Amino acid sequence: MGFFADLGRWFLENWSGDAGWLVRIWQHVEVSAVAVVAAVLVALPLGAWLGHTGRGGLAVVSVVNIGRAMPSFGILALALPFTIWLADTVWFIDNGLGFAPTFVALFALALPPVFTNTWAGIRGVDPEIVEAARGMGFTGRRLLRDVEFPLALPVILTGVRVTAVQVVATATLGALVGYGGLGRYIIDGFATQDDVRIVAGALLVAALSVLTEAMFSLVERRVVSPGLGIERQTTVPTPETRFRNGEHPEAVLS
Amino acid sequence: MRINLRSRVVGAALIAMALVVGACGDDNGSGGDTKEGPTITIGSTNFGEQLILGEIFAQVLEANGYTVERQFNLGSREVVYPALTSGQIDLLAEYTGSLLTFKGGTPSTDSAQTAADLQAAIGPDGLTALAYSPAQDRNGFVVTGETAQALGLTALSDLAAHNGELTLGGPPECPDRPLCLLGLEEVYGIQFFGFIPLDVGGPLTVAALEGGEIDVALLFTSDGVIAAKGFVLLEDDRNLQPSENVVPVVRDDIVTAYGSQLTDLLDSVSAKITTAELSALNKRYGIDAVDADVLAGEWLAANGF
Repeated sequence: MGFFADLGRWFLENWSGDAGWLVRIWQHVEVSAVAVVAAVLVALPLGAWLGHTGRGGLAVVSVVNIGRAMPSFGILALALPFTIWLADTVWFIDNGLGFAPTFVALFALALPPVFTNTWAGIRGVDPEIVEAARGMGFTGRRLLRDVEFPLALPVILTGVRVTAVQVVATATLGALVGYGGLGRYIIDGFATQDDVRIVAGALLVAALSVLTEAMFSLVERRVVSPGLGIERQTTVPTPETRFRNGEHPEAVLS
Repeated sequence: MRINLRSRVVGAALIAMALVVGACGDDNGSGGDTKEGPTITIGSTNFGEQLILGEIFAQVLEANGYTVERQFNLGSREVVYPALTSGQIDLLAEYTGSLLTFKGGTPSTDSAQTAADLQAAIGPDGLTALAYSPAQDRNGFVVTGETAQALGLTALSDLAAHNGELTLGGPPECPDRPLCLLGLEEVYGIQFFGFIPLDVGGPLTVAALEGGEIDVALLFTSDGVIAAKGFVLLEDDRNLQPSENVVPVVRDDIVTAYGSQLTDLLDSVSAKITTAELSALNKRYGIDAVDADVLAGEWLAANGF
């Protein structure tokens, strides 16, 4: 029981200050969030467009396979000399340690899954629905935005959720290149053989990952059209639901 | 894995050589005989010099017929020392002052006194500190040539004039260590702007110092990179760093099993390692990227083992 008492005391005594867990959680969330948002901004439009046009199947497979094969730790090591060089040359990056290499590694980790799920989600939209939408006069960007994208949204959001959880768990590695975050407790605890600190850090990372998962699940449930549940297959649409979008009632009717 | 595989190849080559020598004539003496007794597991922590020293002791024992196993790249002293006392490793190249500090003692700048105190401190743990080597490897605080010139730094006491301005980089355990950040604060009255936890005197720390991410770095005084990169080692003008002679620490049961035949051999090796040679080996490891096992083999051959 002594260990758990120590652990409890650790949490009570170490919540405040620069090395306290409130600050560490914030640092952890900060780099994770920036990496996921950046990955979504790049991978989502690209994946959606390639999925829409049907081009780039080979590229997707290659990107994913390479992305999966690259360990984040390796990317971190590769990113470090690059970010140190960047810090010397680019005025708005003043430190090549810490945030920058961690961000690069997490961004590289997040890109492939967001990209593939978006591409696969758009490709996976029932071709008959796409055909029907074309028949109703939807083309190009509007077809993608109003038909394919909403239908692919569950798959896309699942990709973002899984990615975010993975990024939060991996942000721990940032401690190896001088970043803060919760990995600090694990790395520093290991260097000083402080088991309480190691376990506390591991628990915080695990808790943050679970919380991320829960939060994204909630968002998914909110954002995805209720019509995309299982009922879609079985329920005959009532007149109300048919007109709900209201854009082309005459087209639906005909 | 790479080092392990290489070590095994070299080990196999040495055994093959030993067999050839043995086959050439039994009148050759004791050199290639296989010793009866327990396997000697040699440990090392996780920086270049430790790997080189571990290889030197491993290869000289193998060449003399001892059965050797390697457990290299273990973590800091907090990890390695328990491994030694519990018998997971049997031999480790240690540093007199740091290990004595770790055991709660107070090392001095007197090498012999520090070594004697060390033996008294680790004896109860079933360990023997063999004869210490003239080679020393202290914690050294290093700045770039430009920083030294710009701020007029030559000694550690000069740093106190820049309290709150400079960033220190070093191993994660540094803030808890009396010979690192704690000592700088207490003995020299230095207050850094911040501390960035990096690696143990390794490439990350060097890159951070070169790139200007940190202003002061903890490196080891025997590190060849200091001279090669034009870094300035700040003089320890208040003698914070004690004697840090390289010393093989061995479990008593191994010493008992093999007796003076083993300890004489290791003592003769330790006696030949000097600080200058250690720096040269470290430089070839860290800058020329020669593998530790190759360096150890060459050093042993050059010194007649």
